[in-house]
Amino acid sequence: MSRALQPLPIPASAGIGLRSSHIGEMLTRRPSAGWLEVHAENYMGDGAGVEALERLRQTYPLSVHGVGLSLGSARGVDPDHLERLRRVCERFQPDLVSEHLAWSVADGAYLNDLLPLRYDEEALSIVARNVATVQDTLKRQVLIENLSAYVAFADSSMNEAEFLAELVARTGCGLLLDVNNVQVSAHNLQYDARAFIDALPADAIGEIHLAGHATNQVGADTVLIDDHGSRVPPVVWSLYQHAIGRLGPRPTLIEWDTDVPVLDVLLGEAMWADMLTASIMFNREQAARHAEAAKPRPMSLTPFESVGTSMPVLAAFAAAKAGAAIPVALTPMEGGYDVAA
Amino acid sequence: MLPLENLQTTMARSVLAIEPMVSAKMLTAGKADPLARLRIYQNNTRSSLTAVLMAVFPVTVRLVDERFFRFVASEFIRRHPPVESRLSRYGAGFPRFLKTIDTLSDMPIVAETARLEWAIAEALDTASLPPRSLADYDKIDLGPSPDILLQPSLRLIVSHWSILSLWTAHQQGTAVDRHCTWARRPERVALWRTGNSVHLVLLDRADFAFRHSLKHGLGLEHGASRALALEPNFDLVSALVRLFADGLVTNVRITVHNLSN
Repeated sequence: MSRALQPLPIPASAGIGLRSSHIGEMLTRRPSAGWLEVHAENYMGDGAGVEALERLRQTYPLSVHGVGLSLGSARGVDPDHLERLRRVCERFQPDLVSEHLAWSVADGAYLNDLLPLRYDEEALSIVARNVATVQDTLKRQVLIENLSAYVAFADSSMNEAEFLAELVARTGCGLLLDVNNVQVSAHNLQYDARAFIDALPADAIGEIHLAGHATNQVGADTVLIDDHGSRVPPVVWSLYQHAIGRLGPRPTLIEWDTDVPVLDVLLGEAMWADMLTASIMFNREQAARHAEAAKPRPMSLTPFESVGTSMPVLAAFAAAKAGAAIPVALTPMEGGYDVAA
Repeated sequence: MLPLENLQTTMARSVLAIEPMVSAKMLTAGKADPLARLRIYQNNTRSSLTAVLMAVFPVTVRLVDERFFRFVASEFIRRHPPVESRLSRYGAGFPRFLKTIDTLSDMPIVAETARLEWAIAEALDTASLPPRSLADYDKIDLGPSPDILLQPSLRLIVSHWSILSLWTAHQQGTAVDRHCTWARRPERVALWRTGNSVHLVLLDRADFAFRHSLKHGLGLEHGASRALALEPNFDLVSALVRLFADGLVTNVRITVHNLSN
């Protein structure tokens, strides 16, 4: 058993998914990264990676993200696997724990993929029971992540967002909003991605995921594949901007699982997420300040002094533009949005 | 409408390409063909699990060619999908499965090499405990036959084929003359985790039997007896010194053994 770890709360800023190819560099360089997330199943053994994570956890806040609990399985969660997850949480004491609204175990087989549910009352009862079992076992709230999907079930009686909202109401779980998954599913199943985000209970969203996806052409069908194998594309940044505009800052993870690049690329993507969030919040505050300035008031500070942002370069940049129309977004990114998606 | 459990069973069999497939009427996919979209799940499952097997059995991949390995892996995945989501445990049955492949019947060293690679994968996922030194026991009377506890990652493999020589030849990243290393020559291999990697050594019959007895908790006396039976010149002191020097001893306990053999 490891020695006691100090609680390290995850900040409402960007972190990166820890991948095995980066562990050595993380240990030697200790780069500035807001927080780390690991897949629970990779740390259920006793290999060298486990020892390395114990060392990293002393420096970085940690989120444990499960991929194999199969919360949507009609037969319930595997108690052995849940016990392993409990031990991982006990060992590393993460600040956040999350899993997926999906199933991957049936007929005695683990499919190593996240399959969608039929969204109806039967499934809701089953998932709610499974989530309650997990929360009772771990003695903590878990965040449930929306799914990237390629098919849906014809007999569903509600949509995924309604299902998640009801799950939150029944179990008190939180939500992990995977913005890339929203984009992938909305494109593949043809619904409005922004409306999906707006339908979720905002207060329940405790974490956001960002990732890249692939675009495959199969005959006349353009399908987005959730491969986590590239930079966050403009269309996902756009959705993220929409989400942050509605939710405010949230812990945001850069996920990259295939064709994993050098560590600095992940750190760079995390930096962009922080900058975009800071920009949105800055613009929001500036808009409020301008509205306030329109009212008669005795005296005001300069824009640069009045903005409580941790990104002074943005504050200075906006202050230089003071007097112009109030910006409402980080506009350069919008030009590249994939309207087809 | 199918109960959820039946629906998931049907879907799981479809994803593993086991007939009958799920009915297209049960699925929607916008304007796309739902069964074509279902193949994405089939591909994801097969390709991700194949990648898991390729990572565990890299030398086996080189021995049989990647395309053939992928074909065999697909069959293995379809017939023996993982039973749990801890994928570090997936692949234990793969070496035995290779022995059932007709095409490989005249190349038994392939399955034997896979067996070695699975042992390496197991060792890499096992704890490495702080080793003890001989000096730790300088002033302690351990009695005539103490229990010597070894690293839990220690794996002992005996094969009729020169699996360690073959495996070692494939670690250099250079072209390997297959025929020179495919010798029918018994090899006894000990391997254990050291940090991020695995240490592998060849053992003679006596040392193998000695370590085998200790690993299975049969005690020093049993181990020495077996080793001496195989090799009358077995040097117990040297064997013990090697165990400590290899960092394999994690504890020594005084225990009385009542063994008849």
